[in-house]
Amino acid sequence: MNLLTRLLVNFAFFLEGSPFYKKTKKFFYDLLENSNYKYKKYFDYTMIVIILSSVAIIIEETEHPLYHWLNFYDIYIVTTIFIIEYLLRLWVYVDRRKIVIEEFENSVFLESRFNTKRVLLKIWRKTLQYIFSPFAIIDLLAILPAYRELRILRIFVLFRAFKIFRYSKNLVEFLDVLTSKRTELTMLFFLVLFIVFISGASLYVFEAKTNPNVHSLLDAFYWSFVTISTVGYGDITPTSNEARIFTVIIILAGLGLISFFTSIIVSSFTEKIDEIKESKVLSKVEQLNDFYLICGYSHLAELVAQKLKSEKREFVIIEQDPKKYESIQKKPYLAIKEDASKREVLERINLKNRVKAAMCLAQDDIHNIFIALNIRSLSKSIPVISRTFNKNSYKKLKLAGVDYIVSPYETAGLIASKILTQPIAIEAVINILSKKKNAVCDEAEVLKNSFLENIRIKDIDLDKYKLILLGVRRIDENGKKFHFNPSGNFILKSGDLLIIMGYSISVSHFKSLVIESSLTHARKKR
Amino acid sequence: MQEKKDSILLIGYGRYGEKIAKFFSGKEFGLCIIDIDENHIQRARQNGFDKLFTIDINDDEILASILMQENFSTVFCAMDNEETNVYFTITLKSIWDNLKIIAICESKESERKLKLAGANKVIDTMEGSANKIFHLIEKPAVIEAIEEILFLDDEIDTREVEIEKGSFLDGKYIKDINFKEEFNLILIGIIDKETGNDFVFVTRGINHKMDAGDILVLIGYKDDIYRFIKDMKESRR
Repeated sequence: MNLLTRLLVNFAFFLEGSPFYKKTKKFFYDLLENSNYKYKKYFDYTMIVIILSSVAIIIEETEHPLYHWLNFYDIYIVTTIFIIEYLLRLWVYVDRRKIVIEEFENSVFLESRFNTKRVLLKIWRKTLQYIFSPFAIIDLLAILPAYRELRILRIFVLFRAFKIFRYSKNLVEFLDVLTSKRTELTMLFFLVLFIVFISGASLYVFEAKTNPNVHSLLDAFYWSFVTISTVGYGDITPTSNEARIFTVIIILAGLGLISFFTSIIVSSFTEKIDEIKESKVLSKVEQLNDFYLICGYSHLAELVAQKLKSEKREFVIIEQDPKKYESIQKKPYLAIKEDASKREVLERINLKNRVKAAMCLAQDDIHNIFIALNIRSLSKSIPVISRTFNKNSYKKLKLAGVDYIVSPYETAGLIASKILTQPIAIEAVINILSKKKNAVCDEAEVLKNSFLENIRIKDIDLDKYKLILLGVRRIDENGKKFHFNPSGNFILKSGDLLIIMGYSISVSHFKSLVIESSLTHARKKR
Repeated sequence: MQEKKDSILLIGYGRYGEKIAKFFSGKEFGLCIIDIDENHIQRARQNGFDKLFTIDINDDEILASILMQENFSTVFCAMDNEETNVYFTITLKSIWDNLKIIAICESKESERKLKLAGANKVIDTMEGSANKIFHLIEKPAVIEAIEEILFLDDEIDTREVEIEKGSFLDGKYIKDINFKEEFNLILIGIIDKETGNDFVFVTRGINHKMDAGDILVLIGYKDDIYRFIKDMKESRR
C-alpha cells in the first residue's frame, strides 16, 4: 500500500469514527434534502426570499443604476450563499468515506490489493452523476449571473427563479406529473417540430420573394409556430392564395396539437391527483406525535372517528376500499388508502412510540386478525382493540395479540339483560359514556406527593368536589384489582386510580387540583 | 323485585338475538322467540329454547295470535336486518298499541325510524360500542370499573328504589342521610317527582327533598341493598 492509499483509507476511517463529522453531515443532509426535517422549511423560505430579492435587483438594474450596497449584496452575498449551498449539496450527496471503507473491507476480505484508482473513479463518477442532475445544473447556472462582464449571462438570472422549484414541494410535484408523461410530451414535441419545419419551409418557398415581411427562413419558422400555437400575432401574414389555403390546413393541425397538449396535462393530473393527495397526507401523518390508528372504515369506525374528532384527538384512518375511502375524503380526517394488513404500510407510518392505540374495525374478523397480527409484529406494546363479529373469533383475536375485544352484539345483549330490571341505571351509564347531560365517569390518578397520597378515603371530602367515588383500581403484585366502593378507612397509595363520577367541570377541576398539589410539593422540595 | 315470571318476546335469533337470549336464559323470564328464518329457529332449539315460532313477515294474524296467547311484558325487536326490525316494530304496534317494545339499531337513522314506529326504547349498539372503544383507549380503568359493577361482579347490583310513603326517607333531604356510612351504598341519582320525571345525578349538587314516589338509583352489594330496602319497608308508619 503506498502512502497516498494509506492516507486515503486512514482519513476515511478517521471520519467514520468522528461523531462530530457524522452529526454535521447529517444536519446538512436534513436541512437540504430531508423534507420531513423540522427546520428544513425555514431554510427553504429563506432561500426563496434570497432568490426573489436577487431577481428583483436584476430587474431593477436593467433601467436604473443600482445603489452600491445593493450591488454588493447581489454579487457577493447572494452568490456566496449559492456557492456554499452548491458545495454542501455536492458534499452531502455522496458518502465518499463509505465508498473507501467498503472497498477497503472488500479487499481485506478477498485478500486482494486495494485498488485506489478504482475507488477514486467510483467517487468521481458519483460526483459527476450529481453535477449533471437537472437540479444541480440549475444551481450552477444560478451562480453564473454574478459574472457581470458577459451580458449573455444575464439570462441566467432566470435560473435563479427556477431554483425556487427546489424549495417548493408543490412545484416539484408539478414537475413530477409532467415527467410521468414524458413519452407523450416527446411525441408532441417532435410532431410540433415536424409541422413547424414543413409549414415554415413551405411559406418560405411560396412567399420569400413576394411577401415583404418574410425575409429569411427564421421568419417563416417563427410565423409557422405562432400560427399553429393559435396565438397568431399577425405581424407576418400570407398574401398569396396558395399560402392562404395552406395556412388553413396548418391552423387545423394547430388546433389538434393544442388539444392534444391539454389532454396530456389534464390526464396526467387526474392520474396523479390521488398520489399527490396521499403524499400530502403521509407528510402530515409524519408530523403527528401521539395519535390513534383506525384500521378499516366501518360504520363503527365512523362513530369512533366522530367521537375522537369532537374530543380533538389526533387519529389516522387506513382503508383500502375505494368507495369507503372516498366517503372519508368528504370529512376532515387524515386517511390513507392502503391495506392495513400489509407490513410495509404500517412500517411507513412508523408506529413505535407514536401510536397511542390501534383499532381493528374492518368489516370481518379474518381481516381484523390479520391487521392485529401485523401491528403486533411491529410493536408489542401498543394497545390493540378489535371488533369481532363471530363468537368463535374471540379466542383467535386474543391469540393474535388483541388487548380488548368489542362486540356490538355482546353490548346489545348486556344492555338488554339489564334494561328490564334497571332501566334508569342503564340509561345513566349510557348517558355517562356518551357524555350526554354533561355527566362523566373518569379516572384520577393518585399522583406522588399529591394531597391524595396516603390519605384515608373518608378524609377526602368528595361531596365538596361534587363527585362520587365508585371505586379504586390498584395494581399490586397480584395484578390489577378493582376495589368497589372501598370503606372509609381505605388508604390511597400513589399509582391508584380513583374511578370518579360527576359533571365534567367538577371532574376536571378535581384532577387539576391533584396535579397542582403534586407539582407544588415537587417545587418546594427543590 | 321481579318475583313473578315475566314473559318476554324476542324477535330475531340472529347475531343480536342469540346474545340477548343467552343473557335471559338463566334468569327468571319466560322467553318466546320468533324469527322469519327457519335456520335461526333450528339453532335456538339446539341452544335449549323451546317456545319458538317461525313466521312469515307479512302474516300479521299469526303474530297477533302469538301475542294473544301470552301476556308479554316486553318485546325485544332484535333482527339483524335494520329494515326488518323497523317493519316488525311497526307491525307489533299496529296490532297492539300498548306493547312495550325495546328495539336494537345500528345507526342514528334507524333509531329515528324505530322511535317513529313506536319503539319505547332503542338501543344503538354501534354508538354504545363506539363509546366503549373511545373509553378503552382513553381511560380503560373506567370501562373496566363499569363492566365490573354492572355486568361481571354478581354481588354488585344497581337498583332503583322507590321511596315508600311513611318510610324513614320520606320527607328527608338527601344530604341528611349518609348512604355510604349507614348503608355502604353509593347514591348515583334521583328522579324527583317535584322537579319532573327526569333522572338527576346527585353530583349536580342539588339537595333534593325525598318524597314518596321518588326513585333513588343506588349501587352497592346486593346484601346491603336488600338491607336498605328492608329497613325502609320496616320503618313505614
